[in-house]
Amino acid sequence: MSADVDFEKLVKRYYQDLYRFGFSLTGSESDASDLTQETFYIWARKGHQLNDPANVKGWLFTTLHREFLKICRRRKRFADEPIEESAHDLPDVPVDCVNRIDSRTLVRMLREIDEDFRAPLVLYYMEDFSYKQIADVLAIPLGTVQSRIARAKMQLLRRLSETNAPRTK
Amino acid sequence: MNTREAKEILLLYRGPVDDADPQFREALTHAQRDRELTEWLQEHTRCYDAIRAKLRLVEPPIDLPQKIISARPVLFRRNWNEILKLAAAIIISASITALGFKLSEHKRRSIPQGQEIIVKGEVLDMTCYIAYNLSGPEHASCARDCIRSGLPVGIKAEDGRVYLLTGKAGKPVNAELADDAAKVVIIKGKKSIRDGFAQLQVEEIRKF
Repeated sequence: MSADVDFEKLVKRYYQDLYRFGFSLTGSESDASDLTQETFYIWARKGHQLNDPANVKGWLFTTLHREFLKICRRRKRFADEPIEESAHDLPDVPVDCVNRIDSRTLVRMLREIDEDFRAPLVLYYMEDFSYKQIADVLAIPLGTVQSRIARAKMQLLRRLSETNAPRTK
Repeated sequence: MNTREAKEILLLYRGPVDDADPQFREALTHAQRDRELTEWLQEHTRCYDAIRAKLRLVEPPIDLPQKIISARPVLFRRNWNEILKLAAAIIISASITALGFKLSEHKRRSIPQGQEIIVKGEVLDMTCYIAYNLSGPEHASCARDCIRSGLPVGIKAEDGRVYLLTGKAGKPVNAELADDAAKVVIIKGKKSIRDGFAQLQVEEIRKF
């Protein structure tokens, strides 16, 4: 009985964060719901294996990301780009540019970023994970996480600036 | 550290969430002295906050938590001691069954149906023996009466095996053996087994 209560509490506490993560990765409501649901069911079956209860959130995000990768069945790897290359090309995006678009447009822009770069960028924006925690969730080295976030951020900001640029005939 | 280097580092800075991260400390200190960098950082942080807020506006379907909870798998904590005990019991049981089949198979092969054998043993009143485990000299009188009355007659061999005794063509042998109830005799006959029950079709009786 108490396991049921724990499960319900866990779902109610984290389903929104997980859904948003899933939606930002997939851009699809049904896929995000399925990923969230599957993540909790994996927890129900394997959650007892988690040694550190304080790391539940990280465990759930890791699991959802793994399930996402399974769905994608893509294992394309990109060479990591040094952060400074991104910084050189970083477009200046005024906050007004962001305010002019809605959430769904933003998620659609995220979907245009390669998935290897998208997941760290979403965690960077949406959650209060440290870079080390993001690296743990995605099971990639810390340096790789930072370089991917920098590069993905550059891509996103460029798209934002293009969206807001005045149209020419 | 110059402004460009500080900007490269602060590209990843998100505000308060990264304040404890030492990699940003020097760049933040530098930004405090550089007005242009300060303005860039402020705009950069506002932009981060705006994107974060937009992404967090995404709302899951209202029925999602209930859907997850109602369709959850049955939860149980694995008791490995119990699981191991159960597994051991299953393995032992399966092994015994397999061994039983092997032995049964072996017996079936080693003693073909209708094989002629000689058995030395005690004449039994099968009804009393099977129902009440009665045999031996102290039961001889009862056994004799039972056999005479037509109840099944058998023989318990020296090796402990018990055979139902019948005559040729299914005719009873009660009359021939009633007076030998609970006594030891030697019987030559053809053995057959049906559904686990052994039968000896009597050909010759040697009495002592």
